[in-house]
Amino acid sequence: MIEAVVSLLRLLGGLGAVILLGYALLALLLPQPRDFRALERLSLAFGAGVVLLTLWMLALTWRGHPFSLTLILGPLLALSAALLLTPRGRRAISQDLQALRTPRRLNLTGWDWLFAGLLIVMLLYAFLRAALYPMWAWDAIATWGCKARVFYATQGLDLTCIDAHNYYPNLLPLLLSYFYFCLGQVNDHLVQGIFPLWGALLLALLYSLARRLSLSRRQALGLTAFLALNGTVFVVHLYIAYADLPLAYFTLGAAGLLYLWLADQAPRGSLALTGLFLAGMAWCKYEGPPLAATVLLAASLTLIWLRPPGLWRRLLSLSLPLTGLLLGYLPWRLFVSQQHLPIGADHLQGFYPHQFVLAISYLAAALIQPYYFGLLWPAVLLAAIVAGRRLWTSPALFLALFIGGNLLAVILAYGVAPTSAAEFPSYVRATLDRLLLHLTPTAALLLALGLKELYPTPKSPTTP
Amino acid sequence: MSYLFPFPPLTFSPHLTRTLIALWGLQILWLAWHFEPEARDLVSRIAQGDVGAAIRQADPLYRWAGALSALIPPGASYVFLDNYEAGKEIEVRYYLAPRRHLLLPPDAVAPYLFYVLHQEQASFLLIREGDQPLGPGARAAVQSQAVQELSLPGPGKAYRVDHRRLRWGFYD
Repeated sequence: MIEAVVSLLRLLGGLGAVILLGYALLALLLPQPRDFRALERLSLAFGAGVVLLTLWMLALTWRGHPFSLTLILGPLLALSAALLLTPRGRRAISQDLQALRTPRRLNLTGWDWLFAGLLIVMLLYAFLRAALYPMWAWDAIATWGCKARVFYATQGLDLTCIDAHNYYPNLLPLLLSYFYFCLGQVNDHLVQGIFPLWGALLLALLYSLARRLSLSRRQALGLTAFLALNGTVFVVHLYIAYADLPLAYFTLGAAGLLYLWLADQAPRGSLALTGLFLAGMAWCKYEGPPLAATVLLAASLTLIWLRPPGLWRRLLSLSLPLTGLLLGYLPWRLFVSQQHLPIGADHLQGFYPHQFVLAISYLAAALIQPYYFGLLWPAVLLAAIVAGRRLWTSPALFLALFIGGNLLAVILAYGVAPTSAAEFPSYVRATLDRLLLHLTPTAALLLALGLKELYPTPKSPTTP
Repeated sequence: MSYLFPFPPLTFSPHLTRTLIALWGLQILWLAWHFEPEARDLVSRIAQGDVGAAIRQADPLYRWAGALSALIPPGASYVFLDNYEAGKEIEVRYYLAPRRHLLLPPDAVAPYLFYVLHQEQASFLLIREGDQPLGPGARAAVQSQAVQELSLPGPGKAYRVDHRRLRWGFYD
């Protein structure tokens, strides 16, 4: 019992260090961190911390330094302390401490309690399901968790002893191995507890973004619960240790912040944060870099279509998030090339028209099947209809282009997937829900815009 | 730009919103029903204290892999004979990481099995389904002087291999 409590404390300590790194990074990137709500910053700080920590671990192994907790955390914590000692960092800390001294009352009412209660019950179930069962799901055992064990045991990115899609990006295995270093052992059930936490932070981010889109607290809470409790896919990904939930989280952060920037509602520093989240996307999963590129492509096309004042300046500003994407993409690609790791060419062998046609029907079925995402995608379609022509004449076009473009890309990807006719249905079944999960939280933003159209609130909210 | 989308925004009646919320309520009930077996298992395990590593201890494959991990040095390689589709090979690879894992099908022929054992300097040969008849390669390996069976309780068979004594060529 005592051992379990000590392990939990060590895990929480490791988690706290990640959030502290992100907090310090936000203090550097954001001129006014308190432009972001506390919940929003907690979520963003975790993502920023994870990206920084895992890229640092990649740098360590590149330079030939074996992993140890001191070497992983020491320099990063020193850097964080230095950042927090700058005038901007000190201001952020003093403002946050002041806010902590005057806690705000929540004042939840009937529906708020119901939505919040549903979310709490779901997250509690997911946490217990994750942290009390050993790692068991296929990709967790075959790829992410296996690599994490290897990285922990070999104290580096030693890929000579396994053949588990070695060219895949390693944000998640490195993060898991970091927690093993915090625990001093491989404890895969306890470490799985970070996935429901990640899901909770994704939901916190969605809630915060919905509030920024002028939804009332009740609407934002309802929207968040609507995403979380619709179909089985989101719930299951809270406890199976796959990289798809982290990718969905980074995608929501990048697309949400960029939407706010396009709509001139973004706090200062949002573009730099977008870059950090695009880096997370690129470094998180093999599908991440193209998905991140479509975020920027959709933003560029939206700007060109809408022609806002200062079009060229705004287009040029997108080079900042593009730099972030490259920072998340290039280090790993260079490492792969230096280590001569063979790259899979899973989807580049030819075009199969019958698969392309079949994929359309599979995708349509998955979007409306209650088992996968419940009513969420039909509701997103309704929201797009509600938005009507505003979809073409406002930055909402960005979200529509991103979602629509990627749904098309999913069909195309199946059109070039090198599987036999007999295997194709099971191949789609094994992958489609995950590809849709990457997009679903961002699609919920489109739903938020539909809600805003239907039930406009009198003024922009200022309280969480 | 209205010519591109010449429809005015739709106005939704409150009935439609209420219908959507009611359907969502049904969806939540269905979710609760769907996850009920898992939730029940979770509750009973918590009540019995049968959680975490204890769940794995109930799996004979895990116990077998645990015994193997005490025998196989972390830097060693082993050949594992199994069907990938069974989904068990990835479990053993996971338990035995960072030992180098080389998967071959159970019916691998002798030349190929001997080639892999020799070329990859494998020190162990593991067969997951110990109660099944050996494939041609495994049979030839067992009959050779380079392979020695280990006595380990569990569902599989394990052999220590002296790869230097294997000359891969045409054994058929």
